Amino acid sequence: MTDRKSLYLMTPALAWLTGLMVIPCLLILVLAFFRRGIYGGIEYTFTLENIWLVFDPLYAGIFVKSATIAGTSALIAVIVGYAAAYAIAAAPSRRQPMLLFFAVLPFWSNYLVRTYAWIVLLNREGLIASVVHSLGYDGELPRLLYTESAVVVGLVYNYLPFVILACYAPLSRLNPEVIEASRDLGGSGWTTFRRVTLPMTAPGIATGFVFVFVLSIGNFVTPALLGGGQFQMIGNLVYAQFLTANDWPFGAALSMFLIAIMMGLLTLQTFATERASGARKEES
Amino acid sequence: MRSQANPRLMLMILSAVFAFLYIPISVLFALSFNEGGLPTAWTGFSVKWYGELFRNKEIIGAALNTLIVAVVSTLLATMLGTLLAIGVEIRRRKGRFLETIIFAPMIIPDIVLAIALLSFFSMLNVTMGLHTVIVSHVVFNLAFVCSVVRARLKTFDWSIVEASADLGASTPITLWRVVIPVMLPAVIAGALLAFTLSVDEFIIAFFTAGAGRDSITLPMQIFAMIRFGVTPEINALATIVMTLSVIALALSQRLNRGGLPGQ
Amino acid sequence: MTQTMLSLRNIKKHFGAVQAVAGIDLDILENEFFALLGASGSGKTTLLRMLAGFEMPTAGSITLDGRDITHTLPNHRPVNLMFQSYALFPHMTVAQNIAYGLEMEKLPRTEIKSRVADILEVIQLSHLATRKPDQLSGGQRQRVALARALVKRPRLLLLDEPLGALDKKLRGEMQLELKRIQHEFGITFIIVTHDQEEALVMADRIAILQDGALLQCGSPQDIYEHPQSRFAADFIGVMNFFPVRRSGDHLLANDGGRVFADLDDAVANNSDAVAAVRPERLHLDVGKGENSLTGRVSAMAYHGLDLQLHLETPLSPDSVMVRLTADAAEARPLSIGDEITVGWAARDTRVFAA
Repeated sequence: MTDRKSLYLMTPALAWLTGLMVIPCLLILVLAFFRRGIYGGIEYTFTLENIWLVFDPLYAGIFVKSATIAGTSALIAVIVGYAAAYAIAAAPSRRQPMLLFFAVLPFWSNYLVRTYAWIVLLNREGLIASVVHSLGYDGELPRLLYTESAVVVGLVYNYLPFVILACYAPLSRLNPEVIEASRDLGGSGWTTFRRVTLPMTAPGIATGFVFVFVLSIGNFVTPALLGGGQFQMIGNLVYAQFLTANDWPFGAALSMFLIAIMMGLLTLQTFATERASGARKEES
Repeated sequence: MRSQANPRLMLMILSAVFAFLYIPISVLFALSFNEGGLPTAWTGFSVKWYGELFRNKEIIGAALNTLIVAVVSTLLATMLGTLLAIGVEIRRRKGRFLETIIFAPMIIPDIVLAIALLSFFSMLNVTMGLHTVIVSHVVFNLAFVCSVVRARLKTFDWSIVEASADLGASTPITLWRVVIPVMLPAVIAGALLAFTLSVDEFIIAFFTAGAGRDSITLPMQIFAMIRFGVTPEINALATIVMTLSVIALALSQRLNRGGLPGQ
Repeated sequence: MTQTMLSLRNIKKHFGAVQAVAGIDLDILENEFFALLGASGSGKTTLLRMLAGFEMPTAGSITLDGRDITHTLPNHRPVNLMFQSYALFPHMTVAQNIAYGLEMEKLPRTEIKSRVADILEVIQLSHLATRKPDQLSGGQRQRVALARALVKRPRLLLLDEPLGALDKKLRGEMQLELKRIQHEFGITFIIVTHDQEEALVMADRIAILQDGALLQCGSPQDIYEHPQSRFAADFIGVMNFFPVRRSGDHLLANDGGRVFADLDDAVANNSDAVAAVRPERLHLDVGKGENSLTGRVSAMAYHGLDLQLHLETPLSPDSVMVRLTADAAEARPLSIGDEITVGWAARDTRVFAA
């Protein structure tokens, strides 16, 4: 009875999601197994070529670079984000919601604008350069914009609020008495952090890392704007297949690869969470 | 853990992180009022770049497009997402499949959804334009609306629905006088969130807007401006866009939690 | 002569394979304060929800004033429910909450206004009419919920654990308040509760439910003094039980001693049974022809009006509870470890099949 009513209510939205998400995603899954037409377009014969092409040494460099940049960004974001979340959770509890709100606020402003802000800062005639020059340094500055570091900074900047949010959740639920118990049993501050706090909040760290990694590796905006098209990441490669190279089947195969990475990491993360759940049960 | 933390170290961490988060944005904000428009020198306060902005027909056109996309997709997503949320919450059996399909639009990388929709539309020979951007934005917007409304429904006391019937109200009257007024803040909060997301969304719009100049949205315009020559107008534009998002988000938070966090 | 207003005939309710209510027959009289008493899972709430119209019986019929309302929708029954959670509308003021049901009847504005004002007077909350529910205390919310249901002047008012969320002192006050209001309005009340004391204090009649079936129905005194089953005897008040075996016109206890009772045919000769006696029926001076029991005092608790003793006896592994009046306790000072003999009349012994 209730379930039938619920089905009526859900039908419009589920139909929308099926028509405009599930089917299109299945479509590119299928597309990945078709041949590219000679003049672009698609030839409807089955092939595994695109899948092999993903693993072609030609693209290995791009993959390694993407993974390095995404990994570095995720690592930095997690370290900084965890520290920030820890500091927020340690603040007086009536201040915590406001601190959290302001930590997350930039996340909801325009991504392009946030990235553009770094162009203004890192530009050869940008703010950092003029500050350094006004301090009396006259020599040539190393190039800041259009470098890998600029891309990493941009990615960390954009995704940091998300990591703070993900790490804050388990930290705020942490029962302070568990920490006190560890101190009471003779653990030093650092030992307590390493053996108690960190394992109990690991799921938040894992979530933060996975999302920054996946969103970074599939990003094409930040490399395009802050990397200045100097190098490509998987996201740029996908972009190119659809908008310039016109090799849709290969682009489809690449995005399936992205999804596979994401699902793999999420599965790993689920395992990590389940392993940590023993510890989490002790939270009240 | 409060007894643990070294307050001075915590303050240093917070100051550093907030400086990192807010200095870049603040610089844009300040620059938009810089007469010279360049970051190298402050030549005086001026709103002339805002004036330039409103004289730029391309930007105004893109802003109007964005407004159309955001308003229409938000309205659609709010209706669909709210019904979906109610449907899911009154359901006794909740499958993993159902949860996945509702959750997916929020976590799927934008680029994947973007190219999937592009392939889909071109395979069906759909002429792309603002309408395709709208229907595509509804996909993720409805998921966000749904999650906000569901969070509210989880604390919803269903016995007030029965109380209304018990006091003599028919189902439509109960919906109108009890369910909708109680749910409205959450629905509006979800809608504001969807509106913000839609106004800011770039990648999916970029792929599904088609080739015409008429269907360029504001983020697409900003992308083009950043990429092909930075003009000082963009600081003003960035400041406006950012301010609007922040206002919408603050409103959304206020409605959803009965007050801004910390107040 | 009061007459039947509500009749339940063979009411059954299944949820899938689970049987929540297993064929109940019940008649409720005009102006009665009736209590459905049972532990959680006894089916009492399901029964109440069927009366309100939120659940449809799997079988059976419900008749109100001669009209079959078994399948009538909740909004078309002259029956109102006071919800356990109170279910006040959070976005409406106290006055708006109370007016809601009257607005549904499409009454003229002036009448609604005066009736709301009147009932606010009755529950003594006139000064809080413009408050929202979350600005009220638990007791105030409870009274608003009551007023909201009462103001419609239903034929039948159902109350689902109405005092469950209140603290002990407030509960005592509200028990009397509910009785007063019921009397004043002359409306039939059916209350669901798991608290036997609440049922005894408030109800004119009590129905004890167990596992979806009606175990016993009667006045509080009837149920307290003449429980028809061991479960009912145990559920209501405190009862001392000990195992016995019937032997002719008397019972034999574990230690071979005789236990006298007014025996009927409920227990067959030479079969096992359970004898029971209320703590307040035990007294210190054993009269002629009475039952007697010797034991050692293992604990004492002073309750103001009475003194409760725990006696360790050979009759049963559980200690026997004795309740002495303050006078009796004063006449004979006792201390822990004393060996005493208590007696009780044969007619105060209750016997149940084992």
